[in-house]
Amino acid sequence: MGIGPSTKETSLHHFRDPLLDVVSSDEDLDLMGIMLVGTPDDNEEKMLVGTRAAVWAEAMRADGVIMSMDGWGNSDVDFANTAEQLGKRGIPVTGLKFSGTAGQFVVTNDYLSGILDFNKSAEGVETNMVGENNVTELDARKVTARLKLEMRRRNQS
Amino acid sequence: MEKDLRRLVIKAYHVTEVLAGDENRVTVDGKMTVSSDVLEGILSKYPQLEKLDVQVIRPGAHDRWTNTIMDIIPISTKVLGALGEGITHTLTGVYVMLTGVDVNGKQAHEFGSSEGNLREKLYLNRAGTPGNGDFIVSFDVVLKAGMGQEREGVLAAHRACDEFIKIFREQMKKFRGEKCTERHEYHDVARPGKKRVLIIKQVAGQGAMYDTSLFAKEPSGTEAGHSIIDMGNMPVIVTPNEYRDGIIRSMQ
Repeated sequence: MGIGPSTKETSLHHFRDPLLDVVSSDEDLDLMGIMLVGTPDDNEEKMLVGTRAAVWAEAMRADGVIMSMDGWGNSDVDFANTAEQLGKRGIPVTGLKFSGTAGQFVVTNDYLSGILDFNKSAEGVETNMVGENNVTELDARKVTARLKLEMRRRNQS
Repeated sequence: MEKDLRRLVIKAYHVTEVLAGDENRVTVDGKMTVSSDVLEGILSKYPQLEKLDVQVIRPGAHDRWTNTIMDIIPISTKVLGALGEGITHTLTGVYVMLTGVDVNGKQAHEFGSSEGNLREKLYLNRAGTPGNGDFIVSFDVVLKAGMGQEREGVLAAHRACDEFIKIFREQMKKFRGEKCTERHEYHDVARPGKKRVLIIKQVAGQGAMYDTSLFAKEPSGTEAGHSIIDMGNMPVIVTPNEYRDGIIRSMQ
């Protein structure tokens, strides 16, 4: 479990992903790459792959990370852990996730304040309409601006 | 100083007419015909599948039944170089919609499904969905009993669809570059001194209807793809150009 039709990203979405367009064209940022991490079934495995992602980010000397996922519910566990592992390593993290009213984080920690909701449905629910609750360019701009803010704060503290 | 790492050129060929016809053909000036003649040959390779059907859905003609939508796929092919560099040809104005159900009417879905009236099940004009003016080539798969929930069944549906798309890819490889309707040039760049940012995308990796395929030879393809499940769901890195060249096939 962990995904709904209205939030899932199709192959076409990946082919013309607004998040990539926004981040890669921002001349204030040096986009190092896109890391893809899966969502295992098993809880220990979830912790493992998210932690490995954070170790990668640290090894790459990332100044900041933007996370994104198209699932919700069960895959929140992976998402929250990865954000926490990044946060603990002192890496500013923001992200995009479907929340609405139906998909609020099922787990929580201290590193989720920069995670923005991309719900588009009026009632905040899984509408079973493919594409409806998808990331748009506006979401991508918001989360990128938020990361810049977080990185600036980090520099000042 | 920006450092230019590599260049990817995506040439788009706009399709203005899609019709049912005697053969599967797309021309450089934007005429496409689709035919179900080839489906029997494709079907014979996949014991998990019972029946295949292709249909043309004209722009706006969405008041019709759809089985659950497994994917929306751009029709693209490499012409020069590997994924992420060189030249790619893609079609605009038409996208493939893969749908699936098993012989007992059980929809091929994992968590929630999108069968019903297409008008109410497909939100148009998103990055991942067709626009108001786009044609849809519907590739509908009937799976054998229970196969819509089995990994091999779902994979077979994606592969069968990919074989169908391949017919057009082969023709598009021969399209003359200067006949494209749009040309997009993308550069992977390093920007030393700027804030180093990483995008982490958490992708599906739990099972039959919740998988992600990477590293196929063709954009948004399945052939030679590697499942993130088989890679232990471990993080892998792709370049921006690999990503925007269709290195991910969504299988959820």
